[in-house]
Amino acid sequence: MYELFEHTADLGLRVRSPELNSLFAEAGLCLFLAIVEDIGTINPRTMAKIELSGNDREFLLFDWLRELLLQAEADRMLFCKFEVIVRDDGLSALAWGEPFDPARHQLAHEVKAITYHELKVVRAGEEWLAEVIVDI
Amino acid sequence: MAKPEFTGPLEKIGCNCWRIPREYKAGMRVDGHIFANDKLVATLRKDQALDQVANVATLPGIQKASLAMPDIHWGYGFCIGGVCATDPEEGGVISPGGVGYDINCGVRLVKTNLFLDDVKHHIRELVKVLFHTIPSGAGRSGRYKFDTTETRRLMGEGPKFVIDRGLGIAEDLEHTESGGRILDGNPHEVSDHAVKRGSDQCGTLGSGNHFLEVQVVDSVFDAEVAKVFGLELNQVCVMIHSGSRGLGYQVCDDALAAFRNCPAKYKIELPDRQLACAPVDTPEGRKYIAAMRAAANYGFCNRQLLMHQTREAFATVFGRSWQNLGMELLYDVAHNIAKLEEHAIDGVNKKVWVHRKGATRAFPAGHPEVPEAFRAVGQPVIIPGDMGRASWVLVGSEGSMEKAFGSTCHGAGRAMSRTAAKMDGIGRKIDKELESRGVIAMAASRSGLAEEQPKAYKNVDDVVDVVHEADLSRKVARMRPIGVIKG
Repeated sequence: MYELFEHTADLGLRVRSPELNSLFAEAGLCLFLAIVEDIGTINPRTMAKIELSGNDREFLLFDWLRELLLQAEADRMLFCKFEVIVRDDGLSALAWGEPFDPARHQLAHEVKAITYHELKVVRAGEEWLAEVIVDI
Repeated sequence: MAKPEFTGPLEKIGCNCWRIPREYKAGMRVDGHIFANDKLVATLRKDQALDQVANVATLPGIQKASLAMPDIHWGYGFCIGGVCATDPEEGGVISPGGVGYDINCGVRLVKTNLFLDDVKHHIRELVKVLFHTIPSGAGRSGRYKFDTTETRRLMGEGPKFVIDRGLGIAEDLEHTESGGRILDGNPHEVSDHAVKRGSDQCGTLGSGNHFLEVQVVDSVFDAEVAKVFGLELNQVCVMIHSGSRGLGYQVCDDALAAFRNCPAKYKIELPDRQLACAPVDTPEGRKYIAAMRAAANYGFCNRQLLMHQTREAFATVFGRSWQNLGMELLYDVAHNIAKLEEHAIDGVNKKVWVHRKGATRAFPAGHPEVPEAFRAVGQPVIIPGDMGRASWVLVGSEGSMEKAFGSTCHGAGRAMSRTAAKMDGIGRKIDKELESRGVIAMAASRSGLAEEQPKAYKNVDDVVDVVHEADLSRKVARMRPIGVIKG
């Protein structure tokens, strides 16, 4: 499950999932939930492949979201479906979506950047919990 | 998210000034100083911004005190509304978090020779034309496209690059902080990703708290200074609030990634990862400074192009040239920036890196960096408020140099989170509410108006009272919005 939580000037993404792979996938979804008004308007018709290395889970989550934001900003892509395999030394991911089309996609927020502030990937009981604050 | 209240020590040490003693937290090298009155202090205790002021006090090379303006609120790493100065000679650091993602976010005020009576019957049309002329909102690209080489040249030259192409006049540069060009920037230190994000965004407003407002001079507090600034009662002006767009965000983001290992490499202990910093005289420090200065020049350029499009929109609506409408730039100030400036510290003049994150430079009369036209009275300081109440023009005063490294506040500061403001806006027609208060507003996104509604902000008048009484800057004129464009 995922939610957007309050932060004075910005927005927080909070994701809970039984395993790391789905935690990262849902975090990706949560990012685009903040970017577009209605995520249902994005068609998963093109696929992007993302490979990242790193052994710190929190930095890996940061880098994953940062990479998605980079593609969204620089290549005008919007994503709505994710498959992620998290390893000890990095991750391999597939993200599906389509280029931004102003006629069909209403943007909600311009996410300036992913921040390190209170960045969290922790085990919470039976599940994983991730929290990230994005700068609006 | 429930945030713990600040329960640390806070001692009143002067008019509208409070101290967090350095004993409060391990690692603090200097005290924290917060400019606020009793009323604002009570609200400030409610989040972690004051703790962030204490965290900044741990940075190597910090001078005098970690400062916070009355519009302070919780940010990532540094609070918004924070000022700190570091001395490179004492291992002082540069911190991208002390500048913020939106490098050279700032404000400019454009005057007109029109008065409320000339505009009030055209305001609806004016707002509509401005809204359609000026690209705003998330993901909007602008009408100006620059290739990679041009974008880098633009970052090297600042607004002069576009003024040379007919999009402004030389006087615009004189009335821009640092003449619109911060020297010693290096556009080649800006990543290709950042250039790509910025190549079609110069001259776009963006979203978040950025805006363009048609305003009326509501009250004049200092007739002599107002005369020098060319402001009078009921005069119509345009305030533009935007920054360096995706290019600046990416420069900050790139630097934070590059600074990730700096704390360990340079043996700096940080209470918060987002405070990532590097000593000024290191490869990482030098690279960020060069890129940040280049991004700042892009920011000046963005506001120049926004002003040019505003001048064109006014000319369309009023059927006269912008020159004929007296659309001169009063001044342009940066409020997210780090600059190498000379300040007197314990009686010795030192060159220090002044980080202003949500704080405005406010140099007093006689300072050599104040443009000649204003040098006798001081630098104009432009303070945006919220879209329902007011914004301000202040003038820099002596106290800013003594107490705050030549700085003052930058705006109203948020009082509600974005999600709370959005929830609060459900079922309401905020544009209609604003209209009943005499403000015509248009926004690019549904979320925009609700999240930026007036009550989401502190009352800017309270913030301005604090800096006026603390002599960081003095009131000149209060501006009331009549037309608003939001991203």
